[in-house]
Amino acid sequence: MTAASINATPTREGKRLGQRVREMGPMAFLTIVALIYLFVMVTFLLASLRTQQSLIHQGAFGSMSLTHLRYDWDQLKGFSDGIYFDWLKNSTIVSFAGAVLAVIVAIPAGYALAMLHFRGRRVLLFLTILTMVMPNTVLVIPLFLEVSAIHQINHLWPVAVIFAFFPFGTYLAFIHYKTSLPYEMLEAGRIDGFSEMGLFFKIATPLAKQAVALVFFFAFVADWTSYFLPLVMLPSSNVQTVSVGLQQLITSSQLYNASAAAGLNVRLYTSELSFAAILQMAPVLVVFIGAQRYLTRGTLLGAVKG
Amino acid sequence: MSLISLQTDVPRRRRRSHVASGRQGRGGAVLLAPYVVLLVVAGIIPAGYAIEQSFVARSGSGFGGFSAYTTATTEFQFASSFAHIGLVLAVWLPFMVVGVVGLALLLHGRRNRLVGVYRFIYYLPGALAGMGNFVLWLFLLDPTDSPIRPILSWLGYQTIDQTVEPSHLPVILAFMLFFQGAGTWILIIYGGLNSIPDELGEAAQVDGATPWQVMRSIKLPLIRPWVAYLVLLNIAYASQLFLEPEVLGLATEGLISPQWTPNQLSYTFAFQIFDVPAAAAISVILLLISLVIGVVITTKSGLFSTRD
Repeated sequence: MTAASINATPTREGKRLGQRVREMGPMAFLTIVALIYLFVMVTFLLASLRTQQSLIHQGAFGSMSLTHLRYDWDQLKGFSDGIYFDWLKNSTIVSFAGAVLAVIVAIPAGYALAMLHFRGRRVLLFLTILTMVMPNTVLVIPLFLEVSAIHQINHLWPVAVIFAFFPFGTYLAFIHYKTSLPYEMLEAGRIDGFSEMGLFFKIATPLAKQAVALVFFFAFVADWTSYFLPLVMLPSSNVQTVSVGLQQLITSSQLYNASAAAGLNVRLYTSELSFAAILQMAPVLVVFIGAQRYLTRGTLLGAVKG
Repeated sequence: MSLISLQTDVPRRRRRSHVASGRQGRGGAVLLAPYVVLLVVAGIIPAGYAIEQSFVARSGSGFGGFSAYTTATTEFQFASSFAHIGLVLAVWLPFMVVGVVGLALLLHGRRNRLVGVYRFIYYLPGALAGMGNFVLWLFLLDPTDSPIRPILSWLGYQTIDQTVEPSHLPVILAFMLFFQGAGTWILIIYGGLNSIPDELGEAAQVDGATPWQVMRSIKLPLIRPWVAYLVLLNIAYASQLFLEPEVLGLATEGLISPQWTPNQLSYTFAFQIFDVPAAAAISVILLLISLVIGVVITTKSGLFSTRD
C-alpha cells in the first residue's frame, strides 16, 4: 500500500470534503436559479414601496419607504370608488364557497371510490382522472352557454357551484383513504353493526384532516386565481372577481393605456399595481402557509397536478 | 393490460360483489351523489350542450349541419391560432422538460439543508399564479421601470411594445409559463424520484457508477412516466392558452391579435361576433384534443390505476 492511498482512504473528514467539492457545482447552479427567482419576486414586491420616479431612475433597488404604501392605498381606494375592494370581497365569497363545497363533495366521493365496492366504481374513477387531467378552461365557453341558458350570468352562485366540481380533490381524497385507512377497520365496523353512513362519519371523517387541508388548499388557489371562467360568467364590473379586476387595473393604468387613463383621477403606476397584486396574492399566501405542513409531508404529491 | 390480469381479476370481483355489493352500493350512491351531480352539471351537460350548439344554424335556430365548423375552421385566424400554439410548444416544451427534470434531478438525493428552501422558492410563483404573476411579468418586460432594464436595453428594447412584439411571444410565454409552472412540476418529478428505491442507486455506486451514470441509466428511465405526464399535460394546457396573450394584447393596446390562440378565437366568436355555433364548434374541437390527451394519460401513462 502506498502513501498516497493511505492518505486518500481513511479519514471521514477527507471523504466529506470530497463530497462537498462534488456538491459544489450543482449547488451553485441551484443557488443561482433560486437567486433569480428571489430577485424577480422581491424587486416586484418592493416596487410597492417606491415612487415611479425612483423605479425609472434608480435601478432595481432604489429608495423606498413604507409610507408609500399609504399613497398606494389611497390611489386604489380612489379608483372607481374603491371597487377593487369589492372585487376582493367577491373573490373571497366565490373562492371560499367553492373550496368548502369542493371539500364537502370530494371527501365522501373519494372515500366511496377508495373503500366501497359497487357497480360503476371504475367508470367513475376513470372519469375523475380524465376530467382531472383536462385543462379546466376547455369547458368555459360551454359552461357560459349553459349558465346563460338559465339566465344566471352575473350571479356569483353558478361560479361557486362550478368551482365545487373539483375532480383533482376527489382524486386526492381517493389516494388519501386508499393509503391511510385499512380495509379491516371498516370490516370490523360492519361487524359491530355500523351502517355505511355511520362508518363514513364515525371512522373515515375523523381521519380526513390531511385530505381536507390539501383539497381546500388546491381548490382555493385554483378558484382564486381563475381568470377565464369569472371573466365570461361575471361581465358586470360590480360582480367581478379580483383576477379580472386586476386586469382592469392594468388596462386602466397610465403605463399601458395612456388614452383611456387620461380621464382617470388616480395614478396607477407600477407601484400601485404591485400593491394591488400583493393584496390579490395575500389570501393565497395565508392559505398556503396554513396548509404548508400538510403539503410538505408530500405522500400525495406524487400525484399532484400542475 | 394483459390477458392474465384480466382473468385473475374477474372472479375476485365477482366474489366481492356477492358478499356486500348491495349494501355498499347504497352507501356509495349516497356518498357519491353530490359529486356525480356536479360531474353532470359542470362537466357532461355543458360538453353536450356545446356539441348541440355547434350544430345549430348561424341564425340561432334550426339544424345547421357542419356549417359552424366550416365557419370556424375557414376563419383566417383559425389556422394561425393553432400555429401559435405550435410555436409556443416548440419553445416552451423543451425548455420545460429540460429545466424541470434537470432541477428535480439536481435537487434530489442531496443532503443539503438548502434543498428544501430552494424547492420552496421554486414553488412560490406557482402558488401565487394567475393575474398577480402577470402583473409581475409586465413589470419585468417594460423597459421604462424594469429591474432587468440593463438586459432589455442590451437586447435593444426601449419600450414595452418592442419587448412584447408578436414574434417574441413564444419565447416570452415560455419564460412566463416556466416561471409559474416549473415549481409544481419539480415537486411532481421529485415525487417520482422518491418512488425509486434508494438501493438501486447505491448498488450502482458500489459497482463504480458515477453520479452522472446513475442519473442517466437508472433515474431517468424510471421517471419516464412522470416526464410523459409532464409533456402531455403541458400540450393540453398550451392548447388552452388564454390569459397571457389576451392580457398582453390589452396591455399593449392591441399589438397582439385578440385571436392569437384558439380559446381567444372562440371567445371572440361568442362575445364580439355573437356567433355562438362557431364559438361552440371551436370549443368542441379543443375539447376533443384535450379529451384524446386525457385518455392517453389516464390509460397509457401507468401513473393512474383504476384497479385495486
